[in-house]
Amino acid sequence: MKIINLLSTAVLVTLLSLFGVAHAQKSGGTMVFLVQPEPPTMAGYVSTSGPIGLLAPKIYEGLFDYDTAGKMIPVLAESYEMSADGKTVTFKLRKGVSWHDGKPFTSADVQFSIMNVLKEVHPRGPNSFKEVSSIDTPDSHTAVFNLDNPAPYMMRAFSAYESPMVPKHHLEGQDLKGAKLGNNPVGTGPYKFVEWKKGQYIRLDKNEDYWGSDGPYLDKIVGRFVPDASTRTAAMENGEVLYAAYNAIPNIDAVRLKERDDIGVTTDGYSMINPMALIEFNTKEGPFVDAAVRRAISTAIDRQFMIDTIFFGYGKPATSALSSNFSATGLHAEMPNYPANGDIAAANKILDDAGYAKDGSGVRMKGTFDLIPYGEDWRRGGEYLKQVLGDIGIQVELRYEDVPTWLKRIYHNYDFEMNLNYFYQLSDPVLGVHRHYGTNMIRKGTHFVNSSRYSNPELDKLLRAGMTQPDATKRAAIYKDIQTILAEDMPVVNLFELEFLTVYNTKLKDAYGSAMGAYASFGNAWLDD
Amino acid sequence: MNRTNKILRYVSRRLLQGIPIILAIIVLNFFLLNLAEGDAVDVLAGEAGSATPEYMEQLRAKFGLDKPLPVQLLVYLKNVVTLDLGYSFRHDMPVSKLIVDRFWPTLLLMVSTIILAVGFGILLGLLAAVSLNTWKDAVITVFALITYATPLFWVGLMMIVVFSLNFGWFPTSGMENIAAFHEGFDRVKDIAHHLVLPTITLSLFYLALYTRMMRASMLEQYGLDYVVTARAKGLTERRITFVHVLRNALLPVVTMAGVQVGALIGGSVIVESVFAWPGLGMLAFESLFARDLNLLLGIFLLSSALVVAVNLIVDVIYSFLDPRIEIG
Repeated sequence: MKIINLLSTAVLVTLLSLFGVAHAQKSGGTMVFLVQPEPPTMAGYVSTSGPIGLLAPKIYEGLFDYDTAGKMIPVLAESYEMSADGKTVTFKLRKGVSWHDGKPFTSADVQFSIMNVLKEVHPRGPNSFKEVSSIDTPDSHTAVFNLDNPAPYMMRAFSAYESPMVPKHHLEGQDLKGAKLGNNPVGTGPYKFVEWKKGQYIRLDKNEDYWGSDGPYLDKIVGRFVPDASTRTAAMENGEVLYAAYNAIPNIDAVRLKERDDIGVTTDGYSMINPMALIEFNTKEGPFVDAAVRRAISTAIDRQFMIDTIFFGYGKPATSALSSNFSATGLHAEMPNYPANGDIAAANKILDDAGYAKDGSGVRMKGTFDLIPYGEDWRRGGEYLKQVLGDIGIQVELRYEDVPTWLKRIYHNYDFEMNLNYFYQLSDPVLGVHRHYGTNMIRKGTHFVNSSRYSNPELDKLLRAGMTQPDATKRAAIYKDIQTILAEDMPVVNLFELEFLTVYNTKLKDAYGSAMGAYASFGNAWLDD
Repeated sequence: MNRTNKILRYVSRRLLQGIPIILAIIVLNFFLLNLAEGDAVDVLAGEAGSATPEYMEQLRAKFGLDKPLPVQLLVYLKNVVTLDLGYSFRHDMPVSKLIVDRFWPTLLLMVSTIILAVGFGILLGLLAAVSLNTWKDAVITVFALITYATPLFWVGLMMIVVFSLNFGWFPTSGMENIAAFHEGFDRVKDIAHHLVLPTITLSLFYLALYTRMMRASMLEQYGLDYVVTARAKGLTERRITFVHVLRNALLPVVTMAGVQVGALIGGSVIVESVFAWPGLGMLAFESLFARDLNLLLGIFLLSSALVVAVNLIVDVIYSFLDPRIEIG
């Protein structure tokens, strides 16, 4: 009797849990989340600006998405096949997908999106699809990419944020940057654009005809713009907004909110963005043209201290020119000259050996230090760095300007000596790191490229080899050499890997299925009341 | 009849005089704004992550930023004369549409603030002056001093902490509840609900100003000869205060209110930012950092027109408050 009872209980429990799993997701509800700052347009195919990334990938989709382990998840493409020489990639596209205006999605859209849009006007598209010479469309659901050289990194650039597929019938023959689509997006994604109230919110409604079998579950998602950080925190505390990514809630508040039962904080969802804090040096003129000085600076900085005191423990000391997130693909290697806790004595020794003597007041050289104008944290960072540099006899003045002035100074006029900044290293070094070091990336007037004007033919050769090498082991060896050179020459001193915070209300479930995090679709997200 | 005619003639003359003033403001603003380093293309390209120089040149040509400054100014002036405020390349929208969308929230906040601040300011100032050197006077004076000295953003945040987070009476921010999307009368109620905290915050500062001014002005009037005469005539204190002194004491307050309408558009940036109120102040602030000059010039144009208009209205109100002041 007892046994039967136990058994029936077990069966009941199993049934219940099955039932529970199958019907876990609840449909309905409006999910309000923070978008900071308000984006200029919604043209994710022209701009990779952060706030556009928070909204456009809900409307547009890519060929693939990536799960948290980096595995490709089929989205608009169901599968792909690569030829043995790596020069032909054939994509089988999903059938029965339509644009929000009802027109079918076909291989012509893929061809147009890559060749006419992303390769032409997207900020990173020309790099991602550099080797793609043409795309054949043998039928409406097959797209064949013809490559000049193998491009292993390209397969990491198919997410909705990085390479959105756009409707050919809305853009063909138009000025891509001024097209109406920019403010009235039409995609294939789980949510449709409804309304944009400037200064207030953008509203997206559920796409009832979505191709996916599960989801979307939410009736509406609304991106709200709240300019003041303290008010954003209050709105989160009050339950008026349920989700805030990319430090919309500052770290100082996030560590406080974390203690509450109804609010969670996570650092997941940024691995393919891969932000790295760093100092760029002018290697052509000014006090920092000597690599020894730059090595000394890298040696002196207490990276862990910056992370702990300024970023509330969120971050990871850099150990090379590449982020440790590249360990997954075997490309990251630890290098010397990157002590996590700083070594003032060693740094002083480097400078002494290089012949920079201290004067009567302990100063070896003077300079100006520009700070990225993206918020208070960076000013605090600059103040700390000024102190450390003073300890090794380098006296710097801090300079903090507004964004346009700063961009012009660093990337147009090269009128700087050292500059605190951060770069997205993205999902592959070819996409995010090469632009910082290659001679071909010294481009006056282009932002976030090689502003140091560092040029090393040996490194250029290695960068080219790393770009086309399809074999993982050989590729790792190439990148080890690259990192060795960069740890020696240090045109850029990497500081630490930033860990952005996402603060969310625990009512919101399953918002983090993808490695793209907040730049993914919310397609599986649902509200539990 | 004669008076109405006079007022009409006066108003139209003043409006005509306003035109060169506004034009001068446009020209001055145009050159001032162009003194800043960097342009809209830099900002757009900077936000986008990276862009090629060719692409940026292309954008500049499209925005007309490649032409020399005087030519840009002439093009702008020509457009303004035909009531075309130009195009915001950042928002990909006509400037006039952007401004009109944001003008109503600003107007709502401005009008409710002025009514609250001037109304209560006059009331409190009156009360303080009437009960000079009593506890009422002391309380009002200290209250005015504290609200005048407290930074707006702090008051705003404290309002949110106390009334939204602790009591839960009001929403923290925004103009309407965007999870609900109310329609009709519910929407009006919802907007009014959202308006309470920003209005009180913005009013407090001006309230203090008007209170102090009203009190001083009342006291000054009390000392004048006509009050002595009125008393000698045997009028009640009540009648002296409300009919004679109050009317005369209002003049400086009305002048001040007129001047401050202009300041309110700009001064509300902090309140708009704290309460995420979608007004013109925030739009101007963001456009400045985005170097969206067309939009910025449009906002300045609107504000200067508003200031000219309000000053005119104030002058007309004068003549009603004090018939001795003649216009013409």
